[in-house]
This record gives sequence, structure tokens and C-alpha cells, in this order.
Amino acid sequence: MFVRVLRDFCRQTAAVSGRENVNRLIHIAVPLEKNRDRRSFLASVPRKDEGTEGEKFVFIDSAITKKEDMFPDINTPNMHFGGVKFSDVPVCHIKSSRNNTILHVTKPNGERIMIRSCGMEGFKNTRKGTNIAAQATAIGLATRALDFGIHTVRVTINGLGPGRMSSIKGLTMGGLKIISVTDDTPISWNPLRSRKQRKL
Amino acid sequence: MKHLKFISRTVLVRNENVDEACRILNRIMGSEGFLDQYRRTMFYEKPTQMRRRINYEKCKAIYDEDMKRKINFVLRKNRPEPFPGCY
Repeated sequence: MFVRVLRDFCRQTAAVSGRENVNRLIHIAVPLEKNRDRRSFLASVPRKDEGTEGEKFVFIDSAITKKEDMFPDINTPNMHFGGVKFSDVPVCHIKSSRNNTILHVTKPNGERIMIRSCGMEGFKNTRKGTNIAAQATAIGLATRALDFGIHTVRVTINGLGPGRMSSIKGLTMGGLKIISVTDDTPISWNPLRSRKQRKL
Repeated sequence: MKHLKFISRTVLVRNENVDEACRILNRIMGSEGFLDQYRRTMFYEKPTQMRRRINYEKCKAIYDEDMKRKINFVLRKNRPEPFPGCY
């Protein structure tokens, strides 16, 4: 407190006495300056990974290739993948939030088979909300699923977070075969009033 | 109408290329404004913020339109004089 008062006093005297320092501000409120510094600092920090790779940029390879067979149609639920109907393949639900990633494997009717999350995998606190944690969790889940006898899954992703892309990568690295990717993020154009904004 | 799960917002994986499928999904979601809407409604947007944003978007759209016209004018082909002002 005393230091702050002294500093303010010095600044004031410098501004008033020195004619060449006319442009210098007289700081009465140090916290204001501090806040501004923090804002500029936050603006310079790179944005957190949201798993939305490919949102803004087009990869030339994928732009050239034809995509007709990549989108489902009315016959897709009856198509066979490895001898199983598309609609009977187990589903891997991924919920990726800012602070954690949760993966479920369920039967096609929604009955849960297994669940893993970054916290269960041994990551704690802020480390849960990283793409490495998500990938490790996904690999762990994939090995368990293979033990259980599940080799092919459909994937639904929910939410934006660091685990959005990396968990899918982890599932493939763990040996599961993914046949489709669905976005399941709840989006409303006339939503209820959401929580207040975070103070930065 | 209810959107059918695994029909809407779904991309099938081709040749085990999962990354490509994810990128296409992200791109479609982004270009249709789904992700922006999700980010916007994660926290409450105050009326003043909404007005500011909408005014900014209007201004930007007008500017973009003019700039696009300008660029097309400069880059136009089959001009009567190929190098105007250069003699």
C-alpha cells in the first residue's frame, strides 16, 4: 500500500514539475492501469485449442476430392459395416468441455457399456482440460472396448474443447474403427438465458 | 421436424481417414454458423453487446461488399486497354 502511494506521488510530481513530460498521464488509480495491462496480456495469449481444426481453412486435398459418399442418406442405417448394420453399431459419445473430456461407449439404444474420463485416467485439475489427457483417455477406453469385443463404433462429439479432435485421434490410435462422426452439440437459436459472462 | 440422429450433422469416414471427416464436419458446422451460435450463447450476451455486435456486422458487410466490388474492378479481364495509363 505504502509503495503504491509513493509511486503515485512520484508520478504526479514528475508530470507537474517537468514541462517536457506533458504527455505523461497522472495516475491516480493504479488498478486501472493494471487492468489494462491484463487485457493486453490476455489479447496476446494464443487462443485455447477448441478442437475445431478445419473450421477456417480448407485443405486442398479434401477440397478437390468428391464428397458424395461421405454424407449419409436414407439407406445409410441399413448399410453394413463389417457384417453389422449401421444402426446396430455401438456408439462412442464424447463430451468435451473446457475443463474435462468424458467418453461413453453405449449400445445403439443408449444403454451404457463403459465410461472413462480424464479425471478417472489420473489427470487432475487443469491437466484434465488438455488434448494430451483426452488422447490418453481415449486410448485407454479403446483398449477396454477391444477387450469387451467392440471393434467398430460410431462417434458423436458434444461441445467445444481441447478433447474434441484429440480424443477421436486417440480412439483410432487405440485400435477402434470409426465409421462415422456426428456432431451432437446442443445449439439453440432461441435459448434460455445463459449464465453471466466470465470476468477477465 | 426433429432432426434424425446419425443422419443430420453426420459425416461418414472414408478409407479410414478420420481426420478428413472431422475437418469436413468442423468446416460445415463453422460455415453454417453453428459453432458461432454455440460460442455466443454459452454466456449471456447483454443487449448493449448485442446491439454493438449487430452494428459492427452491418458495417463490416457493407465494407466487404464495396471492397469486393473494388477488387473485382481492379482484377477485371478483357479490358479495352490492357495497361491503362501506361504509354
